[in-house]
Order: sequence, then structure tokens, then C-alpha cells
Amino acid sequence: MPQKPAATMADAIAAYHSYVSGQLDELRNHLGTLRAAVANADTPGAQGAWLQAQQCWQRVGAAYGSFGELGDAIAPGSRGLQGGSADPEFKGLRRIEYGLWHGQGAPQLLPAIDQLAKDLQALAAKLPGLSTDPADMPLRLHEILEDSQRDHLSGNGDQGSGMAIALTRADVEATQEVLDLLRTLLQGLKAGFPALLDQQLAALLKVIDQTRTGGTWTPYRSLSLLQRQRINGALGRVLESLALVPALFSTD
Amino acid sequence: MNLERRSFLMGSATTAAGGLLVACAPEQKEQSPAVTDVVPFHGDNQAGVYRPADQQASACFASFTVIADNRAELKTLFQRLTTKARILTGGHRHDQALPTEELNGVDGAPPVNSGVLGEDVPAANISLSFGVAGSLFDREEFGLKARKPKGLTEMKVFPKDQIDAAWVGGDLMIQICADSQDAVHYALRDIMKATRGQLQLAWKINGFHNKPRPDGAPRNLFGYKDGIVNPASTESLVWINGNSGQPGWTEGGTFLVVRLIRMLVEFWDRVGLGEQDGMIGRHRASGAPLGKDKETDEPDYANDPEGNEIPLDAHIRLANPRTKETSGSRMLRRGYNYDLGVDLNGNMQAGLIFASYQQNIQEQFEATQTRLADEPMTDYIEPFGGGYFLMLPGVKDENDHLASGLFA
Repeated sequence: MPQKPAATMADAIAAYHSYVSGQLDELRNHLGTLRAAVANADTPGAQGAWLQAQQCWQRVGAAYGSFGELGDAIAPGSRGLQGGSADPEFKGLRRIEYGLWHGQGAPQLLPAIDQLAKDLQALAAKLPGLSTDPADMPLRLHEILEDSQRDHLSGNGDQGSGMAIALTRADVEATQEVLDLLRTLLQGLKAGFPALLDQQLAALLKVIDQTRTGGTWTPYRSLSLLQRQRINGALGRVLESLALVPALFSTD
Repeated sequence: MNLERRSFLMGSATTAAGGLLVACAPEQKEQSPAVTDVVPFHGDNQAGVYRPADQQASACFASFTVIADNRAELKTLFQRLTTKARILTGGHRHDQALPTEELNGVDGAPPVNSGVLGEDVPAANISLSFGVAGSLFDREEFGLKARKPKGLTEMKVFPKDQIDAAWVGGDLMIQICADSQDAVHYALRDIMKATRGQLQLAWKINGFHNKPRPDGAPRNLFGYKDGIVNPASTESLVWINGNSGQPGWTEGGTFLVVRLIRMLVEFWDRVGLGEQDGMIGRHRASGAPLGKDKETDEPDYANDPEGNEIPLDAHIRLANPRTKETSGSRMLRRGYNYDLGVDLNGNMQAGLIFASYQQNIQEQFEATQTRLADEPMTDYIEPFGGGYFLMLPGVKDENDHLASGLFA
């Protein structure tokens, strides 16, 4: 098991792959729960399992198609599909979300779940041999949360669950994981910078968690404007800091 | 992001770090841009009210929610805004030095300048005017309750108003005016980038100021010359002073009332000219009061008590009856037109960003608006948003900052 924080970029990438592998295992478990719930026509149970699975995928931190077509198959959005969310080509976790929040049951969803399980298997199998560009990790550190703003908090990625905040929280956790891996390298490039990012990410988590009531997530559109502004403000602040990371690692 | 041009660290970064951190050292060249289009930021009063004398062509009224957590962060915010305003209002050549807080200190990082105005930012008569709403003083965490100006209430809703919650509220107003819309956009974007953790937009609206057609005061979207009569700065109607009954820290400031007033232009265009003239009280072509020749002619209400010439409920007559009693309710108007696009049914959503500046909201704006409550023109307009703000006293010099008196 590679050490964290990593002393070299190669170590960081190896540690990240190991982390992803663990997340994919967990994701497969959630998918099993999801499949059983759908088969039993247990919609609330299926919705809960979907959220666990989608959060798990967000924790992988697969921003900007970083695993290529294999990664894209897990949770693509419905953008660019002629039929939108109802398009037969729409697949993956988001497709399942759409069905669960639009009255679909086993006949429509089990094939989608089984296909997803296959795609997940393929990704897990390819992962050990996957080569990652050294530029990828610094980019990932800022792009995970750029995706939160672009896809979750915009409402664009939502297929009915309204779980933008829950998914953004998972994105923050993914960012923290990558930051932990790069901590030593980053500290060497700009002393004190990891601590600043820690503080700004914690501030973001704080305003995110303040929106939870009784342990459940409020659908994003039901939050008050002030709650959304606080999240957007904390997110915007850390994004401005994270935007410096790729340049810090550049040797140009 | 151009990845091809970059190679990345593979080994231990700690050893290589020294060579990487090329500080973004500003060059010390003091070449200022031409000053013909500069609206000075420093002064006893803020710009954007009486300065420049001819209001700029483009504007944005942006109302922000303050999400700073505490008083210290709020003060830092005003200092940051001051720095931004100094740079933005003077124009900035790319080789001029920038204050350290403007620089991220990382070579190759995203540029500080969005590039919308090119690498050299022209002065473009940019003026930035900052105001605070009453809600800011009500927030426990800032400890400013005792400093709240009198009369800085929520915007009063008048009987015919159709207020839309999406177009009211906010704790801090930034009024940006400039010669062109791209300069307004640049300034707003630049300010927001620097203040993401402290400010979030509540609402904003862009405005444009028409050219005189053919001369005199510019026309509003009803086709009438507007803003013909405004009090001079020496009349003591606009700037808060020692006799205004306000907290001392507000002296040199003024109250801004912004009202977003949709004008039902399709309906208006179906009204005969005589009726239009009667509702306004002026001839559309010349802008002159009815029965007069020039827009600058004064209406003679004393000799028209029955309203035979200018109807008693004409807009100009109710707004400014030109009596001794109503003289003190005059205010400086410096509004902009807006054009937002399409309403629910395909009509134009366009109208007026009414902006008035006064020493006392209740005695000036509200008194005037109360007189106007039932004017015939109300059928053709729909006020739907806006707010009341105290526009802060001016920033005196390089050592001063916005709202310094609030924290003294």
C-alpha cells in the first residue's frame, strides 16, 4: 500500500489508483443493494442506495473524463442526447436516478443496473494497467470542484433527486483525498498552501452540512437563496485558490 | 488550459521548488493612461451621483448579499473593494504595477485580468459607487446596529407595485457606470472574482442611457425626455451633512433609491399622442411643458389652477408641483433604461431603472412617490424590484477606504 502523502508524483498516482480501486469495490456493493431494492419494488430503498452509489462515484473524483470511455460509462449526463433524459442511449448512474424519480421500475431499470455493473467491472479490471499523465493529479485537484459548480449546483446534472448538495459534499471529500496525496509536493512548491486549502475546504463543508436537517439532505432547489449563496461563496473562494495548483506543478 | 506547453514535476518537488516559484514581480513603470476619460475615485463624495456631469452610457446596478462571517472580514471586504475601485476607475496598463493583493504570486497561473478589455484596461469613465442596505446593520455578527442610518428601511411597497422577490434584497449595492457595456462587465467580473467568499449576487440589472434625440435631455422608453429638471449639488438636497440628523459617519453620503420599473411599451404605443402628452405633462417632440416651447421652460401652475393646460394629475405636475412646500422633496434622478428580453407571453420586458439620490428617503422619494400613487401613467408601468441604500461617503485619499467611518 503506497504511503500518503506521497513523496513523488509517481507515488501519488499509485496511491490514487489504490484509493479508486477501494471506492469501486464499495460502489459495486451499493449497486448490489440498489439492484435488490429495485427488484423488490422498494423505491425509497432504491433511491437511498442510488445516492450511496452516486456519492461513492463522486468520491472517486473522476472529473473531466479522467478514465476515458470506461469512466464516462459510469455516470454520463444526458447532455447532447437527442431525446434528453428519455433517450435510449442514456445510461449509467444518472440514468438510474432518472428512472427512480420518474416512476420507473424493474423492467426499465434492471437492464440499466446490469449494464452499469458490467461497465464497472471493466473499469476495475483496466485500472491497474491504466497509465495516468503526471499532469492529471494537479488538474484533478481543482477540476473535481469545478464539476460540482458546473454540473451539480447548476442543476444541470440533476435527474430528479435534487441531491446536488450531497454530491457536492462527496466531491469535497474526493478533493481532500487528492490534496492529502499531493500535500508534501504542494507544500514544497508553496509553503502554507495546503493548510490554506484545508481551511477553505473545511469552510465549504461547514456551510454544506448546515443545510442538512435531521440527517437528511434538502433538495437543492428547496434551499433558501442565502444558503445557496453561502455554498457558492465558499466554493468560489476555494476554487480561486485551487486554480493556482496546475501552474504550481508546471515546470514551464 | 494549454497542456501541451507544459511539463510536470515527476520527482520530489521539495528539491525543485525554489526554481519554480518565479515571483510575479511587477515592473515599476509609471505610465498612466490618458486622463481625459477618468472619473476620479477619491473625493468627499462618491462618483456616479453628480460625477461625471454627463452620465455614462452604460451601467449595472448589482445588489449583493454579504456572506462575510464577522466584522473584521466585513472591514477587509470594504478595503478590498476600495483597492479594486482605485485600479478600475483609473484605467490600467498591463506593465503598470499592481498592489500585492491583486497578484496570486504564481507564475503561469490564470491571469488576473479577464482580458475582456484587452491587456491594457482603459479608464472608460468607469465609476464605481458603493452603498449599503439596512439589512447589513441588522446582522448581529457585524455589531453595527447603533450605526444604522435613520430611514434606511426596506423598500416601501406602493399600492400599484408588483414586487418580485427575485428582484429585491441584498446588503450591498455596487453601481457601475462606464462609457461601454464591456467596461461595466469587466469591472463587475473583476470585483466578484476578488470577493467570492464575501459577496454573492442577489440581483443585478444592466442599463443604458440614450443619446439626446435630437438634443437636450435623453428620452426614456416612452419616447419622452426624462431628467430635465434636477437639483444642483449646491442645493443641499442630496448629500448628507451635519444638519441631516444622521449618524456622523454618513456625512458626505447620500441615499439611493433604485426602483425597477417595467414599462408596458406595447400598451403605451397604442395610446394617442394627446393622451400620452397629458399623462406626462410635456410635448413629446420638444420636451417642453404643455403650452410651452422649450424643454427648459418652466410650467406655470399658478396660472393653470384647473389643469386646463397641464392636467392636475400629469406626471410632472404631481412629481414636482413647484411649490414652496414641495421644493424640499426634489431629488437627483440619474436613471438608466433596461431591456431584459421577453416576458411570459412574448412581450418586451423593458423599462426604467429609476435611480434617485437624496438626503432623506421619506421626505423626498417617498413623499414624491406618494403624490404619484394614482397618476394615470400607473396603468402603463409595473415597478417590480429595487431597494434602498445608503451610498457611502467618498474615499478621501490613498489612506482612506470605503466605510472607514463605520469602523472608526
